[in-house]
This record gives sequence, structure tokens and C-alpha cells, in this order.
Amino acid sequence: MNDTILEIRHLSKSFGRHEVLRDIDFSVRPGDVTSIIGASGSGKSTLLRCINLLETPTSGEILFHGESITGGKLNANTYRSKVGMVFQSFNLFNNMTVLQNCMVGQTKVLKKSPQEAKENAMKYLRQVGMEPYIKAKPRQISGGQKQRVAIARALAMEPEVLLFDEPTSALDPEMVGEVLSVMRDLAQNGMTMLVVTHEMAFARDVSNHVVFMADGVICEEGEPKALFADPQNQRTREFLSRFRNQ
Amino acid sequence: MDRFLALGQDMALLWGKYWPSYLGGMGSTILLAVVATVIGCVIGLACGILNTIPYTSYDPAPKRFVLKLVRILVRIYVEVFRGTPMVLQAVFIYYGLPYFSNNTMRFDNIWVAAILIVSINTGAYMAESVRGGIVSIDPGQTEGAKAIGMNHFQTMTSVILPQAFRNILPQIGNNFIINIKDTSVMFIISFTEFFAFHRYITGVNNMYFPSAAIEMIGYLIMTLAASFLLRLLEKVLDGADNYELVQSDQLTMAAGTYSHPDRGTPFDERSKEERERIKQQLKFGRNRGDR
Repeated sequence: MNDTILEIRHLSKSFGRHEVLRDIDFSVRPGDVTSIIGASGSGKSTLLRCINLLETPTSGEILFHGESITGGKLNANTYRSKVGMVFQSFNLFNNMTVLQNCMVGQTKVLKKSPQEAKENAMKYLRQVGMEPYIKAKPRQISGGQKQRVAIARALAMEPEVLLFDEPTSALDPEMVGEVLSVMRDLAQNGMTMLVVTHEMAFARDVSNHVVFMADGVICEEGEPKALFADPQNQRTREFLSRFRNQ
Repeated sequence: MDRFLALGQDMALLWGKYWPSYLGGMGSTILLAVVATVIGCVIGLACGILNTIPYTSYDPAPKRFVLKLVRILVRIYVEVFRGTPMVLQAVFIYYGLPYFSNNTMRFDNIWVAAILIVSINTGAYMAESVRGGIVSIDPGQTEGAKAIGMNHFQTMTSVILPQAFRNILPQIGNNFIINIKDTSVMFIISFTEFFAFHRYITGVNNMYFPSAAIEMIGYLIMTLAASFLLRLLEKVLDGADNYELVQSDQLTMAAGTYSHPDRGTPFDERSKEERERIKQQLKFGRNRGDR
């Protein structure tokens, strides 16, 4: 036994001859809020999708509580039910209402009774402030609201880690705030989170670990304050200079 | 003009004499078309699920082999039954099976045979429509379902197919209307539906065009009713455009306005919060935004 939830070892991923991720190594401990930052196309999202097995890594290993999930031994669906994911484009089920979106995973995957699933779903919908909208369909609510429902849907599965794939990139500046404040609350309540983001202020202020990626490799990682104040790597410095000059 | 008048008279004559047969034929036609379209849809949906089972390079070789085999079998089924006329399929299934199996496999009930043939044929068309419907759904829906741990079957039945079904409903309607008309070829296995009565009646009294005109009108009425009902179904499936806001717990009020029988309100002089606030006010002065 060790105290890491997720451990990524020498992970590589190529699409055909194009190598997107090279030799990625890092680990997530319980309660960690890790931000992955970097330019578009640096492989951040692919890394997150590999961790949730939406993409099959070309080589390397992902360990969940010390157990390898990439060898095909552990059931991918069981693993995914313990690792929640929030997408850039929300991916709410269009054929269901807000409440059904948050219940379906619990009743189908966790085999909870509808009553129990509803109570649980309502708890998390209340937490993200979407309780009044439980009867609405995804097409009837705004982007920020969709993303909050998506967070509630992931939370309702009571995952051990929550992965966020650029949760605010598809939102306008006003809606970014409502989603970030929900995420900030989660972080303060001790949720283990892995966040791919372009919100530098969030990475600096909320997370306790920042990973900077460029061209499919991790250039630099460390404490957010140290990394933002005094980046060691040349590329990190260039990337962050734009943010720091704002 | 005279001829049209004569046609009308003959039609009235025929209808007056044979209307129970015509109506009975229409009933058989509709029943066969409805049952076969429903079963065909189920076959099509099943093929759609089987066709899209994903496999990765992690999966063991036998599993990958079986999945590939399933796809090939579905493909063969679709190509064969979509690519040959239903009349010949009927001949091969209804007469061919008993002939080649020395009567160990034969149909005692004409309805079973007719439904089987039309269903298999519709299923082949539906399989392709369903495939198109599944492809048209945003991959994000599948990813969203996978991300909460659903397996392929759960993803398909609770997320993808309900949406795909809505998208292919016009196609299902197409198939239904085609079935209403094309079941007329079932005369080859002596299945007596609407068109079969036309053949029988014209054989008796040689009034070909009046009977054909009645058939035309009858088929048109059936197909128009079918398209109307399908449009209605589409509307029902689309659901309401509005939704109501729900305040599930009437006791939950906006922040700061709640009251509790034991502790009073935050504005109550006896409450802990109020005492604390007064203490703070005396110390630091009133806060901005404080009520």
C-alpha cells in the first residue's frame, strides 16, 4: 500500500506517427488539487483522457491505488466509476432532465435504488446551486449551468478523483466565475482534483500542485507559488510571462 | 367524363358488395406492417448495438475475433436481405425451408411466415438506419456515459439509442409506409391482405380499374394516417418546450431569511449571530453591506 491515488509512469501516447505524450511521470495523492497548464496542443487534454482510459495509452502505466489499470486486468468501467470526469463541452445526456442526468449513473452503474439516487443527486445539485432546475433539459439551460450540472453528475458517483478537462473554456467570462467558485468550494472541501485549465489565477490560488506541459512532456512542476513567482524552465517563463504582465 | 362517372358507379357497386373483404384486407395489411416494422426496428437496434461494441488493443485476441466476426455476420445479413427482392425471400423462406429440410422446418401459420419475412427484410434496412443514427450522435455523449462507468450496453440503451431513435424516426416512418405497400407481394405465399382481395375480386367479375381505384384510395388513406401518427409521435418524443423551476423544499428560503423555532432568526436579538454581530459592530463599526 502507498498513499497515492493515481500514479502515472512513463506514459506515452501517439496518434499514428505523431507523438502527443512522451514519458509522462507524476502522481496524485488524496486531497491534492493539481493543475495542468500549458499551451493548446501540448497534450494536456490527451493526458487527462488517457488517465480516464478514453484514449488508450501507447506505452507506460497508470496505477490506481498501486494497481495497474492499463494492463486490462482491472475492469475499465469499475475504474471509471471511481474517477469522475468533467468535460469542456459538458457532455450532458440530451435525452434526460438535469435530475435524470445525475441519477442514471447511480442507478445503472452503482445499482442504487431510485429513491437513494435521487436524494444523493439532489444533495450535489444543491451544492452546485442547480436544485431549482432539476426538471429542465440540457438544451434549456446556459453553459455555466450545464457545467455545474456536469460537476454534480460526476460528484453523485462519489468518485475518489475528479478530472476536469478545461471546464471553463467553452464559457463566456461571466459564466466562468460560477463554475470556478463551485470548483473552489470542492477543493476546499478536500476533493482530490486534477484540472486541465487556462485559468492561471485558479491554478495559482486554488491548486497545491502545478504541472506545466509543452510539446507532450512535463517541463516543470511544483508548488504554484514558487512556479508562478520564479519559473526555472525557459518555456515556463515564456508561457507565464503573458499572464504575469496582465 | 362519362368514363369517370362509370368508374365511380362501378366503384360504388364493388364497395357495396365487397366492403367487408376490402376492410378485412386493410386490417391484415396494417397489422402485418405494424408488427413487422416493430420487430424490424428491434432487429435493427440489436444490430446497431452489436455493430458498435468497442474493442481496444488491450482486449484478448478471442474477444477481438468474436467481435469482428459479429460485425461481419451483421454486414452479410444486411447486404443479403437489403439486396434481394422480398418476393424471392418469401419464396425461399416459405417454400424453400420445408423443401430443403424434408418438411422438418415448415410454417403451419401463414401469419408467422409473413411476419417473419417482412420483419427480417425491414430489420436489414433498419440496421443501416440505426447505424446512421448512432453515428450522428455527438461522441461526447458516449464519452460522458463512459466517464461515469457505464458499459457499452448501458450506454447504448439509456443514452445513445433514445437519441438515435428520435433522429431515425422519419426513417422508421419511411419503412412503415413502404411496408404497408410492399406487403402486397405476400400474395406469393397466399397471404390474404388488401391487394390479395383485389386479385380475388377482379378474378371473379373482371372489373379491374374500379377495384384498382379502390385499392389506390385505400392505400393512400392508410399511408396518410401513418404519416400523421408518426408526426404526432415525433412531437410527443420532443417533449415540452418549457420547464418549471422547482423549489423542492418550501422551507428553504433565500439566504438570511430563514427562521428556526429554537434559535429564532439571525435578526433576533436573542440569537447568537446577532449578539456576535453587535459585539463586532461595537469593536469595528458597521460593515458595509450589513443590513
